[in-house]
Amino acid sequence: MTTSNDLVVEATAAASTTGSGPHDDGRVLEPRARRRLKHPGRWRRDLSALVLLLPALLLFGVFSWWPILRSLLLSVQYNNLVDAPTWVGLDNFANVFSDPILLTAVRNTLEFGALSVLFGFPIPLFLAIMMFELRRLGGIFRVLVYIPVIIPPVVSVLLWKFFYDPDNGLFNAALGAIGLGPFPWLQSTATALPSLVLLILWAGVGSTVLLFLAALSGVSPELYEAAETDGASIWQRIWHVTLPQLRGIMLILLLLQMIGTLQIFTEPYVMTDGGPENSTVTVLLLIYRAAFINGDFGYATALSVLLAAALAILSAIYLRLTRAWSTS
Amino acid sequence: MKMNPRAALAIVPVALVALALTSCSADAGADAGATDGPVTITVMGIPATTKPEARQAYLDEITAFEKENPDITVTPTDEKWNAQSYVTELAGGTAPTLLWVPLTDPPGLIARKQVADITADVEALPEAGSLNQKVLDPLRGDEGQLYGLPTAEYALGLAYNRDLFTAAGLDPDQPPTTWDEVRTAAKKITDATGVPGFAEMTTNNAGGWHLTAGTYSHGGTMEVLGDDGTYTADVANDQAAAYLDTLKAMRWEDDSMGTNALLGYDDINSGFAAGNFGMIISAPDYYTNYIQQYQGDPTKFGMAAYPQAGGGTTLAGGSVAMVNAKATPAEKAAAIKWAAYHWLRPQYDPEAAATVAESNAAAGIPVGIPTIPLFDQETQDKVHAAIEPFITIDSANFEPFVTGTAGLDLEAEPPVAAQLVYGSLDPVMQAVLTREDADPMAELEKAQPTAEQAVKQAQQGQG
Repeated sequence: MTTSNDLVVEATAAASTTGSGPHDDGRVLEPRARRRLKHPGRWRRDLSALVLLLPALLLFGVFSWWPILRSLLLSVQYNNLVDAPTWVGLDNFANVFSDPILLTAVRNTLEFGALSVLFGFPIPLFLAIMMFELRRLGGIFRVLVYIPVIIPPVVSVLLWKFFYDPDNGLFNAALGAIGLGPFPWLQSTATALPSLVLLILWAGVGSTVLLFLAALSGVSPELYEAAETDGASIWQRIWHVTLPQLRGIMLILLLLQMIGTLQIFTEPYVMTDGGPENSTVTVLLLIYRAAFINGDFGYATALSVLLAAALAILSAIYLRLTRAWSTS
Repeated sequence: MKMNPRAALAIVPVALVALALTSCSADAGADAGATDGPVTITVMGIPATTKPEARQAYLDEITAFEKENPDITVTPTDEKWNAQSYVTELAGGTAPTLLWVPLTDPPGLIARKQVADITADVEALPEAGSLNQKVLDPLRGDEGQLYGLPTAEYALGLAYNRDLFTAAGLDPDQPPTTWDEVRTAAKKITDATGVPGFAEMTTNNAGGWHLTAGTYSHGGTMEVLGDDGTYTADVANDQAAAYLDTLKAMRWEDDSMGTNALLGYDDINSGFAAGNFGMIISAPDYYTNYIQQYQGDPTKFGMAAYPQAGGGTTLAGGSVAMVNAKATPAEKAAAIKWAAYHWLRPQYDPEAAATVAESNAAAGIPVGIPTIPLFDQETQDKVHAAIEPFITIDSANFEPFVTGTAGLDLEAEPPVAAQLVYGSLDPVMQAVLTREDADPMAELEKAQPTAEQAVKQAQQGQG
């Protein structure tokens, strides 16, 4: 059976016989053509794979890609989902930009993103490295750190709503016992957003730690042995071996975390409804309100398109800036 | 590890989940043609399976209706009204024919043409002539077309905990009638029991809803009709500020509203039933949930008229039967016929009223909760006499509401984009109750542009 590695080797071998340069398009295409001739059975295999993929492609198409395309269309229409939609050009986008709450929502969303990444990225990394170093009790810590992930998001959010209650909440009671507080938590424009970030960190840290631990287990033990032989301290091992080995997963997690936190919805929706005084209103909450409370699908999809575009641009800039660093 | 930027960019579609959130299949409008002969309608409103007696009575009523109208087949659905899912069901052609919606929703549904014009169908009802026109007005379109049939209407009032009143040395049979009296009573309750004497909703548009009611009670309104026939939002008015001043004094000077100011509909209603608040703003029909859902103690429940400060007005609410915009004329006619048979008949036909009251009483549903009459006084008196033997509530506990509300004007919700206006006012309520230095008028002025834009856009057909 030919593996994908064999194909690469084969292609390279075939290419070398042509004597063309490494960036010659003709040379790249030629071995592919030869492979087709040499391995007619592969087409049958590709077809089989495609047939097996078809149900998944259909599901994605119907429930994901098609709705996304329809959203793009909706953003330039007025549509009450009953009458034939009417073309309104960029009116929906104009409505979005003239919404007095938009700037507040964007600012809050960026603040959520910044705080979540600032604390939500290094803390799991630190915890994962520490657990990896603690080889005996690592399993227990892994279970403990992952428990919050098992709790359904809405349940944990409601639980924290109780924790944050200014009168009878767990946090004020506990802090009061040591002479601190009472703190307003969700009741103040100054503390509501950081309070939600704290919940997000608690709920999300377990998954990130597990991903880092998985990546850490892939780091070659020889590297550590070599470092230890050279007399490296634990911090030197982390700095010179662990972190460089993790940079790929770190980059991808950071990107995912940024995209995820910029789409924050459940926590402000359930705990504060964007309050107090719009201090926790986010872009996704605005989209939700427009679509499902006010029935304005044009506004909702226009804002969705803008958010998606912003995230795509952000991701592209991020990847460009970190390209050099990600290449080992 | 090498990461290909192009491959990594493929992650970006994750962001497109935001798009999928709002996307729905939207077929062009269906222009239904009339059908003769048998017609089948799907209707909301069947009692839940947890109330087997009431459910069976409902099914028996359907059988009787179908016997009287052999061409109509009524299929009940357990689906409850949900504004979010309705639009997608409507687009997909799976929405029920007959909808049962709260009175807060019709203005938006009418503006977006998501419900059918039922003027001719209602006019065809034999009892149409004796319907109270005042309750139909908020359900009309720009040119007077009727889009909804009210099934029950009520006015907002003041629910209070009779036990906490007694504990604070207040007379539970003489509840407050003015906002000044509410403030005094709230302080006494908090001082005597430690429980917040008064609590208000501030989230999910309910803050704006109650601020509007408070404004009405001070003689103000949230939208003004211009000479050109269009409405303008006017939320930064003195009456709204006066109401907020009272709340501010209760929260920060008297400390009688507790410290948790981010409270929604369920927080307030469940908290009141649990005895966590002395007084809340509510309509009498909340009593059903107070008993059934929140297991409240009936002896502690008191209901007074909405407190006043010169306005002599309370905000009206209720439930409305409306018809799916895609219904055929035959389905529309059948749906309205059933709505009148099921909801209106017990309100004008004494015999039907007695049957429903008996069934509700047997099912543990409170009977005798005061509502706004949908028909004239004579009809109302006959119906009341018929249901009297089955009344399960302690009517004396609702007496202050009945007598007090009789002297008040009833004002419907703001006519244009009510929910959007309410949404713009939630932050105002939150500001006053979370920040001691908040200036009510300044906060209202901050909300004015948002409300103004919402009302303006709604009248341009984009709401």
